[in-house]
Amino acid sequence: MVARRQRPTEDTESYTAGYRPIPGVADELLDDRGVVRPAWRTFIRNLDRLNEAEIARYFARGDQYLRDAGVFFRQYAPEGSKERAWPLSHVPVILDEEEWRELGEGLVQRANLLERVVADLYGPRTLVRDGYLPAALIAGSPEWLRPLVGIEPPSGHFLHFLAFDVGRGPDGKWWVLSDRTQAPSGTGFALENRVATSRVFPDAFGRRNVLRVASFFRRFRDRLTDLRGDPEDGVAILTPGILNDSYFEHAYIARYLGFMLLEGEDLIVEKGAVMVRTVEGLRPVSVLWRRLDAAFADPLELNDESQLGTPGLVAAVRSGQLTMVNALGTGILETRALLAFLPRIAEAVLGEPLALPNIATWWCGQKAERDHVRENLDDLVIGRALSTRPLFEANQLVSKEAYFEKAGDGASRFDREGAQLVGQEAVKLSTTPVFLDGRLHPRPVSVRLFLARSEDGWQVMPGGYARVGRTQDPNAITLQRGGSVADVWVVSDRPVDAESMLPAPAAPYIRAEPGILPSRAADNLYWLGRYVERAEFVMRLVRAYNARLIETMSAEGPLMILLAHHLEGFGVEVEEGVPQGLLDVIGSAIYSASRIRDRFSVDGWTALNDLMKNAQDMRERVDLGDDAASAMGVLLRKITGFSGLVHENMYRFNGWRFLSVGRGQERIICTTTVLARFADPKAPDGGLDLAVDAGDSAMSHRQRYSVATNRGTVIDLLALDSLNPRSILYQLSEIKTLVSDLPGAEVRGQLSPLSRAVLQAHTNLAIETPMTLTTGKLIACRDEVMAFSDTLTDSYLR
Amino acid sequence: MLYDITAEIAYDYDAAASSGRHVVRLIPADIPGEQRTVVQRLSISPRAAEQVTQTDFFGNRAVDVRHEGAHDHLAFRVKARVERLALPPTFDVSARLKDLAGEIAQIRSLDAESPHHFLASSPRVADEPAITAYAKEQISPRMTALEAVRTLGRALHRDMRFDAEATTVDTPPAEAFERRHGVCQDFTHIMIGGLRGIGVPAAYVSGYLRTIPPEGKERLEGADAMHAWVRAWCGVDGGWVEYDPTNALMVGADHIVVGHGRDYADVSPVKGILKSSGSQKSSQAVDVVPVEGQRDQG
Repeated sequence: MVARRQRPTEDTESYTAGYRPIPGVADELLDDRGVVRPAWRTFIRNLDRLNEAEIARYFARGDQYLRDAGVFFRQYAPEGSKERAWPLSHVPVILDEEEWRELGEGLVQRANLLERVVADLYGPRTLVRDGYLPAALIAGSPEWLRPLVGIEPPSGHFLHFLAFDVGRGPDGKWWVLSDRTQAPSGTGFALENRVATSRVFPDAFGRRNVLRVASFFRRFRDRLTDLRGDPEDGVAILTPGILNDSYFEHAYIARYLGFMLLEGEDLIVEKGAVMVRTVEGLRPVSVLWRRLDAAFADPLELNDESQLGTPGLVAAVRSGQLTMVNALGTGILETRALLAFLPRIAEAVLGEPLALPNIATWWCGQKAERDHVRENLDDLVIGRALSTRPLFEANQLVSKEAYFEKAGDGASRFDREGAQLVGQEAVKLSTTPVFLDGRLHPRPVSVRLFLARSEDGWQVMPGGYARVGRTQDPNAITLQRGGSVADVWVVSDRPVDAESMLPAPAAPYIRAEPGILPSRAADNLYWLGRYVERAEFVMRLVRAYNARLIETMSAEGPLMILLAHHLEGFGVEVEEGVPQGLLDVIGSAIYSASRIRDRFSVDGWTALNDLMKNAQDMRERVDLGDDAASAMGVLLRKITGFSGLVHENMYRFNGWRFLSVGRGQERIICTTTVLARFADPKAPDGGLDLAVDAGDSAMSHRQRYSVATNRGTVIDLLALDSLNPRSILYQLSEIKTLVSDLPGAEVRGQLSPLSRAVLQAHTNLAIETPMTLTTGKLIACRDEVMAFSDTLTDSYLR
Repeated sequence: MLYDITAEIAYDYDAAASSGRHVVRLIPADIPGEQRTVVQRLSISPRAAEQVTQTDFFGNRAVDVRHEGAHDHLAFRVKARVERLALPPTFDVSARLKDLAGEIAQIRSLDAESPHHFLASSPRVADEPAITAYAKEQISPRMTALEAVRTLGRALHRDMRFDAEATTVDTPPAEAFERRHGVCQDFTHIMIGGLRGIGVPAAYVSGYLRTIPPEGKERLEGADAMHAWVRAWCGVDGGWVEYDPTNALMVGADHIVVGHGRDYADVSPVKGILKSSGSQKSSQAVDVVPVEGQRDQG
């Protein structure tokens, strides 16, 4: 137990020694007298019991978890984007429960206010009529979506899930920095930070007093489920897809809550109802938690350049059959200039002032405000009035020089373009400790807090997502600029009682029914199966090539030339030890897998990426011959590891069937092609042994036949042996079974086109003998099997 | 004037589309005091699986159409009889340009007719410094808004060449302006950009133009296809006026309105998304004929 361990005696000082907050800035760890705040005491006491090596080891546990879970972020740079390790600052930000409760009450008030504002903007627009909001500001915003005006959401609410960025000012009070109302991100990352931080700090660090977050998600999941129009309808998360920088989070949340993860192309709208294309036909969906910006949701009625949306989605909203979380159009609330008007609107609409202020903001579209900004320029920053980006994201600020230079027409330009600008007070964020070079240092922090509707109104997530600056410059808190992230602990003064913990044991979020498999997911699983099998086959061929290269010391023989030609068919150049063509196949497998990460085990994903990384590393240094042959051996063991994971762990339902059909089909195609070339009576010497190597059946051949390879034994083993999983007939039987278990395999006693095609191919092969199965028949069999793809696509994947 | 209008927009697909969804804005509008649609009918071939008519934010009639099942041809055809009422001569009661901003600021409304919608950039009309600079060169700040509309419209008509082949529906206004050529859509977008640049709220009107001119008059450009022109807000008293920059004239009884919006994107005649792998060819035919037996008002 950590708590009983003594820190080495030579250094009895606390890690807080030498911790010096910046003058004039509040600090999370120390109060204004320099004393450790009560909420932090247990944590610091425990930290002080560890020496640096121990701390490093503890931190490494968290990092290991994040790597294993595949958490990373994408850093964008002029030379391209790169995946980077998740920058967890291991020391959590600790808030006192009382303080958090007060903060939460302020945010609930704000959430209610925002709901009223957005309902007005898409309804009677009295705030504009009565002068609380300037018409020009709303009309000029691309986030006020005219096609949505006049549509009331079926649930009666526009907002269901919100995030707020808050910071603590120099006076110790919390301020709202930005409202996130469109499709707030950060919850999934907050959960991952929580898990990683729990690995770092065992219970003794006072975690028993830390409020749990799981019930927040459970209640929100229940709420979404309740919003469905019909108990048969689905709830789904709508993602822009894998290119989005928070796609990881979308997949994570989908897995965590047990909702489908869909992209726009998965959906179709018929008579105002939204349906998802699945392998079992169209299935209704009536609640979409969208992580996609509204403008991209419907190319027909919103941004017509969107490739990500679903035509007709607005029509579905209009028909009242779809609940969007949050409603389309709620992005208008993120408009920075709104911060200038919300305090007055609160008084007018709620009859009370904002309990939690937002940062003071002046919209420069009006003369009095412009004058104020001009006179107080030193304390203000200038930003874009219509910007909806969070406060600290890059490129948000406008240079003051452009408008306020002494010479030139800056002043008149400010008057003219004022409506595009806001002045905002320069924010001084509080600091929170980070552990660096053996001690704690203060760094600026902003905290994102989450609110979700539940049966009884807004609930606040007892935790959050903190962003911590790399330097003492508060503008450097974003990940893109080197900032880090931290868990947020809300600490009670007593152990958290059972009621606020999860009511159900360990894993409450199990997908209720495995049934719904969107066609796109099935398509990707199918191709994943094909690419993985293809990669494995290519590896064996490359290994065989290089092994023979050592034996013969020549690439000139007829067999070698034929094999090189054969590999070219896969885009593989035999002159390369670890060919780029092989990397491309693995890359295709990873691409397919990346589009179904919500249905894919973290281990499987890690195994595939590991394989790629290995292959890339090897490509740098592996030479032809022995070196390449043994490199292929290593890669083959890795890829078999992946196949093993799939085989041992994957739930035997439709998704697995599509993956397995893809694998089996690819194996048949590869094997028939190899046999047609290398087991042909006219094939060069050594072709039969090569075919056996390619089919990974050398051992079986030795066991079954006491003779050396001849065409009969090789065809028997690799084409017709019903017990050899490498044989064509074996795989055709497998596919036959898989296909007969797919939905719609038989319709009123009639075989589906796919079932019929598979049965035909199986029968054609089953009646052959090694003597009768000619090269021509092998090619015919391959063509029949290749044609399965089209039938499969027509039946399930459209 | 009473007109019989026939308009058809048709598509041929290289590869059959498996499904499709379109929003169609082809049916002439009803505008109290200006235009009355006596009778209208939209026919769609092949038959749509679903067809819903709605009124969009700006009050335009939009028909939501969905097709299922393979089809390699799609046609929308409108037949309508429309009475276009003679517009009263326009006296210039419009605001001076320098006062316009003040008048706009007085308007606390986001209703469809509010000028606020038509001042900021919109999807197809971005803020283009070159167009704004051009507009500023043409006008003087002492002009009224209406004078500015006419002056800018005439200038564009003078400086731009009508060329039905030079641009496509997706050519950005800046590019068409740079080359000083285009069709009604380009003329209209450029003029909208210029007007907004000098502070005059400006909208895009989509409609039809009388095919054969009254005797003794020249045939107008854009009469055999969908036409477009500008709608500009000239102050609280001046209200909305319409100007056709392609033909350099105030809009009158020869123009039949289908709808208006911030730019083409708000009122494109057919906006569609379909599932198909090949390319497509489209064709357009418009015929606007005065009903026999009326006296031509010219």
